Amino acid sequence: MSWRYSRWSADHALPIGASERAAQGQEVHAGDVLAAGATYGTPVRVGGARRIGVAPDDLARVMRVPVGGGVERRTVIARTGRRFARAVSSPIAGRLIHQRADGDLYVAPVVGRWVVRSTLDGEVSRSDDGCVTVTGSAWALQGVAAYGPDAIGDIALAVDAPAAELHPSRIDVRLQGRILIAGARATAESITRAHACGVAAIVAGAAPAGGLRVVYGDEATASGANTGPDSPTVLCLIGFGSAPLPREVFMPLVALVGARAAVHTASARLFVFAPESAGDFARNAPSLALSDDWLGARPMDERLALAGVKRFASEIEAEAVSTADGPVPVANVLAFDAPRTPQT
Amino acid sequence: MTTSTELVASVEIAHEARTERVPSGAAAGPVLRVIPGDVVRVVALLGRDPQLARAMAFGALSGGASLVGLVGTHDGRSFVARAELLRDAHPDLIVALAPDRRDVDGIVELAEALRFGCADQHPLPHILVAADERVRDRIAASCPANTIEALPDVRTPAGREALVARLRAVRRRAQADVVLRDEALEAAARAMAVDAKAEVVVLDVTGGATSVIHARPDGLVVGIHERLGVGAAADRVVARAGLDRVRRWIPRAIEAPALLERVFNRARWPDAIPASVLALSLEMALAREAIAHALADAERAGVSLEGAWAAPLLVLTGKLAQLPRAAQSLLVVLDAFGPTGATLVSRAPGDTLVAAGALAARGRVVTMPAVDPIAIVAAMWPRRSAAVRVTDANGVVEERVARGSFLLVPTKGAVAIEMPGTTIRPSAGRLELGVVIDARGRPLALPPRDAERLPTLARWYAALDVLPAEAR
Repeated sequence: MSWRYSRWSADHALPIGASERAAQGQEVHAGDVLAAGATYGTPVRVGGARRIGVAPDDLARVMRVPVGGGVERRTVIARTGRRFARAVSSPIAGRLIHQRADGDLYVAPVVGRWVVRSTLDGEVSRSDDGCVTVTGSAWALQGVAAYGPDAIGDIALAVDAPAAELHPSRIDVRLQGRILIAGARATAESITRAHACGVAAIVAGAAPAGGLRVVYGDEATASGANTGPDSPTVLCLIGFGSAPLPREVFMPLVALVGARAAVHTASARLFVFAPESAGDFARNAPSLALSDDWLGARPMDERLALAGVKRFASEIEAEAVSTADGPVPVANVLAFDAPRTPQT
Repeated sequence: MTTSTELVASVEIAHEARTERVPSGAAAGPVLRVIPGDVVRVVALLGRDPQLARAMAFGALSGGASLVGLVGTHDGRSFVARAELLRDAHPDLIVALAPDRRDVDGIVELAEALRFGCADQHPLPHILVAADERVRDRIAASCPANTIEALPDVRTPAGREALVARLRAVRRRAQADVVLRDEALEAAARAMAVDAKAEVVVLDVTGGATSVIHARPDGLVVGIHERLGVGAAADRVVARAGLDRVRRWIPRAIEAPALLERVFNRARWPDAIPASVLALSLEMALAREAIAHALADAERAGVSLEGAWAAPLLVLTGKLAQLPRAAQSLLVVLDAFGPTGATLVSRAPGDTLVAAGALAARGRVVTMPAVDPIAIVAAMWPRRSAAVRVTDANGVVEERVARGSFLLVPTKGAVAIEMPGTTIRPSAGRLELGVVIDARGRPLALPPRDAERLPTLARWYAALDVLPAEAR
């Protein structure tokens, strides 16, 4: 199936420096803050257990600031004794970030802040300093690659037909905060204009690979690009170049215009928060055919007929299916929901 | 063809999305599976010896792992920067190398950064420590939740072997009844070298990986296995090599963005077939760069490739052997690998060699399947015009060779050649193509501008009749 209403889980990896996060079991909505924290500058190592004459394992007992706590300059971090006190104090303002096995401590200045927001309506099923996972029910569409940060917004249609290309002229500031459905192709120009207009994300059949590199840099690969929070979000549903959306994918998107949605880039999924009864969206996955020169992909007829072994222009002989445009190698035809990563 | 004393009815070889069975048809008995293996992400924590990084790179290449990070005790990074690097790398395995006593404090500092960065990673990475017991204890104290294992010094062959064995165990993900594709190919190369009493190089390019295996008749095998390929890892080739280096091998003018589109689509379309000539040319270009970068990485890791380049037998497998024309496989190998002497190049059809290698890797008695000899390559760089004599069933042909020459002498029946400057007289039975004389020199000089590059490529392609007529 292309569209599927199910119970999904979305992992939200946290950067270093989380200071608060949602508790396990907590109900959250897409867009809610799951975790917040600080980015650290160069830390300073401070003598700890040895300095105050305790064993490293006993240091926690005499600490006045817990690991992760904020400190000012000269804040007493740990202290022993009464009359002849021995203390460890912070040399800088910032946060006590780590206690070493030998009892020494690291204090780092805070140079920035970050927040991580949920991309699902649901319940927090895991919460630690590495990751917060949310599990919840939603309509979802699996893409092949996503670029940029997670995005949350209402769905808006920016093309009239599933084979249309997203034109920059269709994008203006009235679409701020929306997730745009972009048809067969979203060019680099449309992506950057949408970002400038405050659009939350673009969902398209394909985006030009060269354009993605222009926007996200040379680190962008066919698997996506994990970037900072200040870049646009793009979800490619089928491939790269140009790929008209199948009717089975596009029509539900039309029906879901205005619905709250989110793009989870780590899993390359579009979640739409509409009731299960919102429509008869869960149809069989349409077939997609990669073009002979690999320049794009297109949806195919529901009924495919095998054409036997054919010899192609490259002189490769392979099983083929018949299409109006000539035979296509069977290997170049995939279901919309087929796995796109190799088996291991 | 392939005989085995083991109770294995067939061998099943996994490709990107499909599997092939050797022999084909339904299996009526136990099946041995050959898999590419999981991607294993390795981060090395290194002491001050510069040899450690190279030894680690060599070990990772031999074990088919991805070395995603090198963190040194003297790399100048802050504690937080190291922790961020380690967290972003999301390692499956950490290798701590601290053979020098002066490295102890530094390596413990790195272990602390590891705990700070990856304490909440699931599952926690295992730590392999190549250092004395006291260092291991201190690392264990810094990372109490991680499993710590001892490793011999990876600068020694025994240490490297231990590392490779560990990496392969992780790549199998605890599946007992599987053989990794690179293991199978190494076993096949070893068996072929012993059989032929000559050095053998096996070149394997698949969608997700490239292997260069050099086997000597005494049983010694050096394998380089890199996650660069012509399919799922095609985008990694472009990321490593740059688009222009891939584009330069395409024998027609093509815009870089359109080429990138094709690469990205191929990377996300498992087992896609190049139906057009342009897509086939792209696959050949990607194969060249994948091989070239695997070799470059091996050289950087301190692997000597002189023996491999001079090996008299070169066997091609995987996608490289499945190109429609033998000349296509040959041209890719000549451009990217560049044998230095007289070499018999063969293609292993289908997956039979991998299947036989998988059985051999399990210690079974196996006869290696026959490979298809396609050409004898006479690589030379003569100071002045020299003569190469080719003798076959039709008689003797003498070719005058000058620097820059690149030509094919088609042959019939058994072939022998005489080259200037060497007493070695390479010979072979029937060859699919004939004798290829390659006097283009190394490294290959491809002009940067299309106006000069395209005619040069066209000349090389035409010499071997590489592409169907419509593409020229």
